Amino acid sequence: MSRKPAKGEYIETDTGNKVSRRSQIIGTTNIILGGKTVIQAEVIIRGDLLRTYPSSNPNEKQGTPVAVAIGRYCFFSRGCELRPPGKLYKGSFSHYPLKIADHVFVGPGSIIEAALIGSHVNIGSNVVVGKFAIIKDFVKILDGTVVPANMVIPSFSIVAGRPAQIVGEIAEGEIEGFDLREAYRAVGNS
Amino acid sequence: MSSLKRASTAPPAPKPPVHFAPALVIADNAALTGTNLISIGLHTIIHPRAKLNSTYGPITIGSNCIISERSQIGFQNPPSNSHSEGVFIENGVVIETGAIVEARKVGEGSVVEVNARIGKGAILGKHCKVGALCEVQAGEIIGDFTVLYADGMRRVDRAGIEDLKLKMVGRQTEILRKLIPSNPTKFQ
Repeated sequence: MSRKPAKGEYIETDTGNKVSRRSQIIGTTNIILGGKTVIQAEVIIRGDLLRTYPSSNPNEKQGTPVAVAIGRYCFFSRGCELRPPGKLYKGSFSHYPLKIADHVFVGPGSIIEAALIGSHVNIGSNVVVGKFAIIKDFVKILDGTVVPANMVIPSFSIVAGRPAQIVGEIAEGEIEGFDLREAYRAVGNS
Repeated sequence: MSSLKRASTAPPAPKPPVHFAPALVIADNAALTGTNLISIGLHTIIHPRAKLNSTYGPITIGSNCIISERSQIGFQNPPSNSHSEGVFIENGVVIETGAIVEARKVGEGSVVEVNARIGKGAILGKHCKVGALCEVQAGEIIGDFTVLYADGMRRVDRAGIEDLKLKMVGRQTEILRKLIPSNPTKFQ
């Protein structure tokens, strides 16, 4: 980089999130970041696509609507996008929240419209995760995969192809590689 | 990096001529560039960060369309003479995130999914679906009801539920109208 930004590229929040100044986050009030999450430049997060269909669970708090919920130590690489999925249900269209657990890595240029992503998921670059896909814990999605809408990916699987298929299993010993604490520390203004 | 720098010092580009129907939604962050006419129909939704480029030909978008973020509509570089008619998108078309549409015509009720690409001068029939990352070559003509999927596979889907699908797009635009703040005056 030829020019050093005056203030540094990342804004660090109280809970340790590192958010690039060049990220394109829309609807910030509807996004929950669990802490220690990295959001790189040109990442789009669509917090404005809220649920409009009333919740069937009356006990749920009505106060703050959530469109995107993200856990701890997640890493969103340059140019990826998080978008809550939408569908027609009982004659009315609504978006539904996109929930992401801890230690989830999303590679550059990937577009995520999943309903749920479990912990320790590694998503490669230029992956498309279709609407309402559910990805369980410890899953690796290889580069260029297209996960079709509504697909459920079981734990400990390796997924690739267009459309995505399970091509392998994650061995017991490989679990360590999913920890993103190192990746979090490596990003910063210095 | 250097290109970014240059953009910031250059004077703002002139706005392209536009023709907006009433009750459309165009987000503040959408980008309209070029010199030819951009006309957008009734109840169409332009998401933030969508790019419409009319430098090399006019763009016409019908009613009840959804143009998602990061999608690029219009020729990205100078066309050869044979396809200089511009881009025409009919009613009820959904263009998803990151798709590049340089087609001469996209038929009614078609869906162009994430990061798909439609080449210059291609003609897409009615109720087609171009799957994620699929590509339609320049000048290609795709018949009605065709579904492009996987790695260049094609099939024809005559499920007969086009009307329902159009209705669903209508519902979707209704909801998006409530969610996305519109600022058409910025572009006029």
